[in-house]
Amino acid sequence: MRPLPDIDIAELEKAKKENFRQRLEWIDFYADWVRKTPNKVWSKQQKKLIG
Amino acid sequence: MEIGWTDQRIELEKELNALDQFVIDFCAVLDKASVRFVICSGYVAILFGRNRSSEDVDMFIQRLAPDGFEKLWTPLNASFDCLNASTAKDAHELLRDGLAVRFAHKGSVLPNMEVKFPKHALDDWTLEERREVLLNKHTLFISPPEMQIAFKISLGSEKDIEDARYLHSLLREWIDEKLLSEMCRKLKVERQLKLYL
Repeated sequence: MRPLPDIDIAELEKAKKENFRQRLEWIDFYADWVRKTPNKVWSKQQKKLIG
Repeated sequence: MEIGWTDQRIELEKELNALDQFVIDFCAVLDKASVRFVICSGYVAILFGRNRSSEDVDMFIQRLAPDGFEKLWTPLNASFDCLNASTAKDAHELLRDGLAVRFAHKGSVLPNMEVKFPKHALDDWTLEERREVLLNKHTLFISPPEMQIAFKISLGSEKDIEDARYLHSLLREWIDEKLLSEMCRKLKVERQLKLYL
């Protein structure tokens, strides 16, 4: 096994923040999609995903 | 999304998922027993379409004396297993001590309803100010969305903030922004409100 690389914690924190920002953008996109989509359509997809 | 939103109630028709059905089944027992309750967890976001699951649903029920709780225990036990107490007396003692009692469909562990008596003034307020939801004609009661959003922000995990952002984004024309700000002020999360919503 190769030795573990050095980890730049600051860079990792920056990436985590950026990832979260993108998640929030996705939440807005998805909420807008639910708003303009018939209940039958979004709830069918939700059921497929969460059971 | 087709949604009926009035001061009296919120009406929603959707294809029910397993978690919706579990919540409907549980609430029907409470409703029949005339026990006041309010759902105040991530399920509220899921109810309105957020695509994530949850292993438990948080609920406050009105404080009941031991004999009142015994009357609820019997019909609950007909359809649900209590996961952390075997008698009404034990379950009531947990509730009285501020702890949660969990119920799942017979023979199951997940999902489960995490039932508590109100402990803080905020819990009592939420139970008092609950909003009625007619989900496919079944009656549920949820915490006011403003409280749900403010409380999720105060919990602070990424999942909770995402729930808050989703509800705020989805229900924006019905959210009372003044009330939301006031709640965030009381919960000391005004900075997070500005940052995340």
